Amino acid sequence: MRRPTRSRYATVVAGLTAGVVLTACGGSGSLGGDDDEASNGAADDTSPVTVGLLVPTSGVYAPLGEDMQQGFELFLEQNDGQLGGRDVELEVIDEGETPDTGVPGAQRLIQQEVNAVVGIVNSGTALGVRDAFEEAQVPLIIANAGADDITGARSSDYVWRTSFSNGEVAAALGPRAAEDCESVFLAAADYAAGREATAGFERTFTEAGGTVAGSVYPPFGTTTNYQPFLAQMQQSGADCVYTFFAGAEAVAFTQQYASFGLKDSIQLYSSGFLTEGGVLQAAGEAATGVETSLHYTDQIDSPRNTEFVEAYRTAYDEAPTVYAVQAYDAAQALDQAFENGTSGPDVVEGLKAIDTIDSPRGEFGFNEGHGPDQTYYLRRVEQGEVGLVNVVVEELTTS
Amino acid sequence: MLGWLDSNLVTMIDGVAFGVLLFTIALGLSLVFGVMDVLNLAHGALYLGGAYLAVSIVGDGGSSVLVFVLALLAALAVGALAGAGLSLVTRPIAHRGHLDQALLTLGIAFVAADLFSELYGNDVKSVRAPAAFGGSTSILGSTYPTYRLVVIAVGLVLAVGAWYVIERTRVGSLVQASVADAQMVRALGVNTTYLMTGVFAAGAALAAFGGVLGAPILSASPGLDTRVLILGLVVVVIGGLGSVSGALVGALLIGQVEALGVSLVPTYASFLTFGTMALVLLLRPSGILASGRAA
Repeated sequence: MRRPTRSRYATVVAGLTAGVVLTACGGSGSLGGDDDEASNGAADDTSPVTVGLLVPTSGVYAPLGEDMQQGFELFLEQNDGQLGGRDVELEVIDEGETPDTGVPGAQRLIQQEVNAVVGIVNSGTALGVRDAFEEAQVPLIIANAGADDITGARSSDYVWRTSFSNGEVAAALGPRAAEDCESVFLAAADYAAGREATAGFERTFTEAGGTVAGSVYPPFGTTTNYQPFLAQMQQSGADCVYTFFAGAEAVAFTQQYASFGLKDSIQLYSSGFLTEGGVLQAAGEAATGVETSLHYTDQIDSPRNTEFVEAYRTAYDEAPTVYAVQAYDAAQALDQAFENGTSGPDVVEGLKAIDTIDSPRGEFGFNEGHGPDQTYYLRRVEQGEVGLVNVVVEELTTS
Repeated sequence: MLGWLDSNLVTMIDGVAFGVLLFTIALGLSLVFGVMDVLNLAHGALYLGGAYLAVSIVGDGGSSVLVFVLALLAALAVGALAGAGLSLVTRPIAHRGHLDQALLTLGIAFVAADLFSELYGNDVKSVRAPAAFGGSTSILGSTYPTYRLVVIAVGLVLAVGAWYVIERTRVGSLVQASVADAQMVRALGVNTTYLMTGVFAAGAALAAFGGVLGAPILSASPGLDTRVLILGLVVVVIGGLGSVSGALVGALLIGQVEALGVSLVPTYASFLTFGTMALVLLLRPSGILASGRAA
């Protein structure tokens, strides 16, 4: 038996490497749930409804999915399992990490003729399923995905959003940052969300008189070492840094920003996802002093939020995150909309009729693109009684 | 030139730190493939297992050096056991070609990844460097985390140790002989089963060791296993199979590409690593250092 030569091995390894890359990109995720026929009865006032919850229960976004499911279920519990006076049957399907798993999940829910779908973390999935929801006339309430187009250029009567758009969150921070710094260095993960965020920030920051000293976009999902980028920030001479990172990248960036000594010399601004939920606790002390913009923090001092935080803590023994609130508010929106009927067009009419949603983040209504017309907060990471918290510094005025 | 060196020196040092971490992963991968002809795609899971071991033993509070060393030793032991186990389960299909091995070990990697997320959740877990090395050192006026310097020192000691074992001892020459022609080594009366299990265990132990060592830098989170595995495979392709110096050169090269390269041409950051691999495959298909010890 002849042994293959060494170069043949190298080729095999190279080929399999490519295979692993593809597998890693494809992500994994299983479809759960059974094939119950959705009860899509006539629109008498008490007919039950089926709501599909499309959230990631596997993969890197699973922590977000868990928070969203908890938020949605909390509202159901507080209302005897009903939305709009109708009993709700919840159908949870795993969104996974990418559109590869998210789009089939959405199609499955549409086929089951659910009355509405709530969830979706990944913007690619959200944009990918938009047409399918419009054609099937099934209302979709997006409770996270932040792509600007969802409620902008590609808005639809059947697509609503209780979360945010990447550009708006960042744009709210621009004028405020310009008060403290003349020049900024932009750094964001190199994908749509990062680009939209820096574009939004840059627009309002330069309008307010600031200048951009430089920008860098580390590869999304594969960068673990930020030292080369941090060195550029230091050498640029910028007064401040604005970033957009989420998940594991947020932790790595925040920690390395501190350990390479930038934390004490250059103020770090970011969209709030850098310091939200489990990510903040993992980043630890390195995150203190970071200032972010977001539409929620569990530290908001209002009776509505205090009551919500207590209920959430009682139910799940942890503080609510922005993701939980977004899904909670999606449930509130459906609660109002289902009073108008259960068919797709009826629910859309119901959603259009909504004046305000009594959210823990503060009351908000929907704008023309069906996104939330909401207040953004400037938050600063400080040491709280138990772990780190995002305290409210002030409300940001949106232009 | 001096000015250029001045502004990039810290980045280059950091590339070395990242490179020696890659070395701990790539060496095992390279030896196991070279000696046993088994492509172990569960290697990344061994690294992540080590990182989670660090989460359990060290945690994110400040710890003493002693606790950290304890975690490193535990990782060596657990890694060696896991490696021996992997060597057992892959043996029956060793003759069935690389695709079957890849499927089996990839399956094991998925199971391990699910177990980790069951045990540790899906959130990122960070590990604090031992208190004594937690601070920063000033290099040419730039702040640099002391722990990364420690990683460089440990990694280089490891490289020298591995080189000595492979190049200068009897066991090492048997391993080298097996890489060249395992059947001939068997024919000479050497029990290659023990040898192979030993190599597998050592390679796995090294990956788990790397997991603990790298935890304060790369944290521990789902998905880290595949990222590390891919980089390890790239290093193996670049460095050539079954050689310590190849793995070291490959790892240091990729370390520099990921640090200095990314710093100089950030626009092409995502292409640099695989671009380097493609270039090496084009020019020296059997790896940079393979020609000296061709089979």
